[in-house]
Amino acid sequence: MTELLKTDNLTKHFKIGNTLSRHTLHAVDEVSFTIGEREIVALAGESGSGKSTIARLLARIYKPTAGTITFGGQSVAGMRSRRAQLKYSAEVPMVFQDPFASINPVFRVSHGMLRSLKLHRTDLNAAQRQAEAERVFDIVGLKPDMLERFPYELSGGQRQRVGFAQALAMKPRLIIADEPVSMLDVSIRIGLLNLMAKLRDEEGVSILYITHDIASARYVADRLIVMYAGHIAEAGPIEDVLTAPKHPYTQLLLSAVPDPKAPLAEVTDRGEPPKVIDPTPGCRFRWRCPLAIDTCSTVTPPLTELAARHEVACHVAQSGAEVKAFV
Amino acid sequence: MADQILEVCGLSVDYVLDRGNVRAVDDVSFTLDHGEFLGIVGESGCGKSTLLFAVAQLLAPPAQVTDGSVTFRGNNLVGLTDKQLSAVRWKDMSVVMQSAMNALNPVKSIGAQFKDVLQAHGKPSKQEVHARSAEVMRMVGIDPVHLRSYPHQLSGGMRQRSMIAMAMLFTPDLVIMDEPTSALDVVAQRALMLQIKELQQQYGFAVIFVTHDMSLVSHFSDRLMVMYAGQIDELGRTRAVFDHPRHPYTRGLLDAFPSIRGPKAALRGIPGNPPDLGSPPPGCRFNPRCQHAVDKCFETEPALFGIDGSLVRCLRVADGSINQ
Amino acid sequence: MTATVVAPTPTQIPSGNAFARVFRAVRANRKATVGAILLLIFILIALFPGVIAHDSPSADNYTPKLGFTTAHLLGTNTFGQDLWAQVIYGTGSMLQIAFIVGAATTAIAVLIGVAAAYLGGLWDGSLSVLTDVLLVIPLFPLLIVIAGYAHGDSIWVMIISITVTSWSYTARQLRAQALTLRNRDFLEAARVRGERKLYVIVVEIIPTMTSLIVASFLTNALYAILFSSGLQFIGLGNPNQVSWGTTLYWAQSEAALQTGMPWWALAPGICIALLGTAFALLNYAFDEIGNPALRPVRKARKVGRARG
Repeated sequence: MTELLKTDNLTKHFKIGNTLSRHTLHAVDEVSFTIGEREIVALAGESGSGKSTIARLLARIYKPTAGTITFGGQSVAGMRSRRAQLKYSAEVPMVFQDPFASINPVFRVSHGMLRSLKLHRTDLNAAQRQAEAERVFDIVGLKPDMLERFPYELSGGQRQRVGFAQALAMKPRLIIADEPVSMLDVSIRIGLLNLMAKLRDEEGVSILYITHDIASARYVADRLIVMYAGHIAEAGPIEDVLTAPKHPYTQLLLSAVPDPKAPLAEVTDRGEPPKVIDPTPGCRFRWRCPLAIDTCSTVTPPLTELAARHEVACHVAQSGAEVKAFV
Repeated sequence: MADQILEVCGLSVDYVLDRGNVRAVDDVSFTLDHGEFLGIVGESGCGKSTLLFAVAQLLAPPAQVTDGSVTFRGNNLVGLTDKQLSAVRWKDMSVVMQSAMNALNPVKSIGAQFKDVLQAHGKPSKQEVHARSAEVMRMVGIDPVHLRSYPHQLSGGMRQRSMIAMAMLFTPDLVIMDEPTSALDVVAQRALMLQIKELQQQYGFAVIFVTHDMSLVSHFSDRLMVMYAGQIDELGRTRAVFDHPRHPYTRGLLDAFPSIRGPKAALRGIPGNPPDLGSPPPGCRFNPRCQHAVDKCFETEPALFGIDGSLVRCLRVADGSINQ
Repeated sequence: MTATVVAPTPTQIPSGNAFARVFRAVRANRKATVGAILLLIFILIALFPGVIAHDSPSADNYTPKLGFTTAHLLGTNTFGQDLWAQVIYGTGSMLQIAFIVGAATTAIAVLIGVAAAYLGGLWDGSLSVLTDVLLVIPLFPLLIVIAGYAHGDSIWVMIISITVTSWSYTARQLRAQALTLRNRDFLEAARVRGERKLYVIVVEIIPTMTSLIVASFLTNALYAILFSSGLQFIGLGNPNQVSWGTTLYWAQSEAALQTGMPWWALAPGICIALLGTAFALLNYAFDEIGNPALRPVRKARKVGRARG
């Protein structure tokens, strides 16, 4: 699998508090993963896990505090010129979560797309841009006459398709989709998930699918990265991770997913998100983990490959013992 | 019948707009027994939240109840004045809103808001206020020291649990919940649902739980009501609805949930969009999206039909032409 | 998913361009219609004063202190000038002040407020300090000082001094609204697709603030009317200019009310009130049009069951 994007020890800290008491919020710490071509990678985690921050780091909205992002062999931080930056934003566009806030309500739906085409596909004239906009709308399943509509005339699902169309118009190689279906009705989600799979299969686009819904991740993604408190807890081919989860947090997450066909798992975990302000070394899951040992409080577990392309950051798992928590 | 605590009969709610009335809730009838957990499920625009607000008598203009009754413990709540309603509110029936950040006052501590509620319905002494506040907080598993906290200082899960604690202040007979878990993550959601069920078993109150996520209530509700375009499409015992869904919409909904276990199947979802309630399609409101629609589905509006203990609004289920 | 109780979305897609939509909105709303008609009447009077008043306002060769006559509808003042002409010809300068000050104040406020909000950091800091300083100084006394110092014959002195002292309040409001918009996804989307900051401010942010900008314009126009007539009334305008404020000034100095010429003071006063009302009504109306929650509520008749 050709490597498209690679992050190496990506870190992002935020300074919070006032001049009297300054603290550091560790949103993302030493995250390393790769995304290949024609691949959908799901990035899953609770709120506060750092997944949205990673999206914004990859979209160059934030600058990393440490670590590197490499795209197509080139360092992203090294892209200084406007040309290089424009090229990157065309190849790595972002689709946002809220269909009601991600399109400017004042303009017609074609506005964002035509602007994108004007900025990035400078070889096209006005008529060609219009044709391209219609072509892309067709791919995402929207009728071309919808280009002239206003956002309020479209449903949430249709607006999200517009978001994907805007991304597609720039001939992307990797789309960062930040919870694109979370705010849509259940019966509409499947349509968009099918669209994402189609983009991977027919248009050859890779997608980083950020979500908190593991079931939808399983439906479209090839690989799964589970994040907890700014660290990667577990990563690997999605079926492997779901059928044989090795990190206690992954097991907790899977047991909490509502499934009408499975019996109810009486999970006693309260679901308190971690505080990642001025953290100490050690595993950040240790307070909620029933298997925590001494090392967990002092040494941050490194992400280690335990099975084929299946990595886990857990001392207990790495020691070879069987991890059965929350199961 | 003696066990019945709530009876909603023919309830209709309209939004009075410039361009005419839009019927958001159309002729909804159901009953609720003591201690029963009723799940109301549907997508956005189906009218479930409007129905909830109508039952709790919290509708604001331009929404109005235009027909039907809401009989709670023998009294019809529709048409009562605010003063008459306040006798019922919170003591016998309380509401848990969708987003605690919207429902809780951000500039008051949790304890102060509990005090407001307690003082609105009586004249408790300071010790009584503190004792009861601490008691309900412990009920939901929060250390009473957090009575001093402000909403923004608590995590999402704790905020929602404080909302439930607030709803329990007078241990009402009926607690109405409007998607209380939608802002929470999966683990917190699970913990909250277990908490609600535990409280229900301990104190015996009835629950009406509105959500868009069917799987969420699958293990907790006694009965399940599926709403579409302002109408009840299916109503029955939860297990019956999950194991033998009869209405094409219910089946479409169940099929639209990918699962994390079992074989991976290609799902279709339900094509199309919910109808504009200002001008619903003729005949059955689901016919533009229904793969089983035949001619009469476009002409006749189906009524609720009883089959095997469930109620279903589908002409083809009624005449047996759809094989279950 | 947020499931707030909202009225269902409309099916009727408004046709036509922006002007047609505004026209229809104005016609549908009673306050807007009344306000618009009033304003239109005043605009017509200002554009064609000669059609309505046959005398020149400055001609002072008529019999002074006349009451209502057919030749002089409102009578004459102590100088023998026709009051009807005075009031009619005064409309022009008042409207000029109202529109120019309204527009200029709003334009400055938009620039400074939105730029401060979106650019943030040092820009926000310095622009906000500038705004706050002007905000804290009491407006009317400051106006009096400036107008008194820059005693000029031109109406522009009045316009500039009012503009300079009035923009700060609106700038604050617009900055506050722009701040809430700053993190909206569509702005982030614009940045992510590579738009420059100036483009985002001018093309993406400002058009979404049109209702607040229009409301600001109307409010500022209204206050311009009140402030300018106030200044003129206390003698700080140009007393030889024909405008409602100066007419009031002369009425006051000639003790019109006490000497049996009440219409000298009442006529311009009523005009000021009516024009102010026109702007105020339009302001309320735009609020209602923009925010349906503010519209007057109509009771529904009880509807019986439609089906058997």
